[in-house]
Amino acid sequence: MKGHWTCYATAVRMTFVEHLRNRLALVIIVLFIPVWMILIYALSLEIPLPFFVRAADRTVTMPAGVLNQLGGALQILALITGFMMFVTTMNSAPFDRRLVRSGFPQPCLIAAKLTALVVVALVVALYATGLICLTHPTAQPLLLSAALAGGALIYGGIGVALAAVLTSDLAGLVLVTVICSIDLALQSPLATPAATGVLVRYLPDYGPMQAAVAAVAMDTVPWSAVGPAVCWALATVALGISAFAGRTRVQGPVGGPVTATHP
Amino acid sequence: MPSDESVLRVRDVRKSYRGNPVLRGVDLDLPPGRVAGIVGENGAGKTTLLRVLAGDLRPDGGSVRHGGRIGHCPQETVLHDAFTVDQHLRFFQVAYGLESLRRAEELMEALRFSGSRRARPATLSGGTRQKLNLVLALMHDPDLLLLDEPYQGFDWETYVRFWDLAEELRGRGRSVLVVSHLAYDAARLDTLHRLEGGVLRAADRTGAA
Repeated sequence: MKGHWTCYATAVRMTFVEHLRNRLALVIIVLFIPVWMILIYALSLEIPLPFFVRAADRTVTMPAGVLNQLGGALQILALITGFMMFVTTMNSAPFDRRLVRSGFPQPCLIAAKLTALVVVALVVALYATGLICLTHPTAQPLLLSAALAGGALIYGGIGVALAAVLTSDLAGLVLVTVICSIDLALQSPLATPAATGVLVRYLPDYGPMQAAVAAVAMDTVPWSAVGPAVCWALATVALGISAFAGRTRVQGPVGGPVTATHP
Repeated sequence: MPSDESVLRVRDVRKSYRGNPVLRGVDLDLPPGRVAGIVGENGAGKTTLLRVLAGDLRPDGGSVRHGGRIGHCPQETVLHDAFTVDQHLRFFQVAYGLESLRRAEELMEALRFSGSRRARPATLSGGTRQKLNLVLALMHDPDLLLLDEPYQGFDWETYVRFWDLAEELRGRGRSVLVVSHLAYDAARLDTLHRLEGGVLRAADRTGAA
């Protein structure tokens, strides 16, 4: 047990060193999130917009700036976590594979990657929640944090999964951006007249968007939006873990005696 | 250990890529305390064979038996640019389950790069990166060391130190298998094999590649 704890602690430290060396992502988190969220709030049309909270079967009317800010927050958090997880997973793949071949327990590496994903998602979600609460009153800040963290987790899992099949930073960034843009544009009543359609229920950020709007404009939790969000988060994270495990799988560790016989 | 005391026993190993056979039935025995070499032209399948021997690649058929701990130094330096030399050593210490870094420090001293422990690979020369690559493969004192073109980027002094290290390993009963496309170190080897047509053949240690 002590050995596994040492491996896990080492892997967590290693994963955070990797993330902290990604200076571009840190600059985007510290500077770009507030700039983007304040600008999108301040420069939106000053008109009320109806938003159908399908999970509560209720339409709420909100200022366009607030609605755009929530969508913008989900988008920037999705891009940051998706790209951070993609870059670190892709760049460290050969090294992780060598570590596993040398006897480093693969489950410890996977657990460390998950830990980093959850911590990154929570930190950026709390940061964005604080910024949103500064610009306008929010009925349920905890629900808002959970919604933003859920969206970040979903795209973090997508980032890890994409790292198993793509080999360039640019390809990863483009794909995460395209998926996330389509996802959120289809849910925006400003961009898409069909935002209230049934199909939006199957989009990755449907649950987080519904919960985020409810957190600002309602005093109840839209529980039926939680299920899809949890399913998407579990599915993308599971896909990411499977892809990572497949990519770092080895025939046998080089650290110990091996007998390998193949017919 | 296998009953015949070989540290490596390979029988009829075959490997194809998309129907194109690269290894057609490789046999090899390596006793303890031997330094052996495998040469062959570019594309002969040397790296494929070494990856199969290291357990990094599953063969289509045949068997590979290791008689102890092995170390594998791949042709490409597999390092992580986010980590310092010290952090690399620490991670592999955990991977190998080592109590201390004493052996790694001895190796770094022998290869003369003890002063770079806080540096990251991106700031190191190609030769120094290769030294770290080698230390990571050797720091658990394996019974068998598998090396793929191990001295790329080494200057002459480091090249000589590398062979001193190989001598020291042989003297302590460790075995070393070196894969190279050149045979100019043949005189330093106990046995030399040529990979040709997907099979290993004994080669003349006095001849060039």
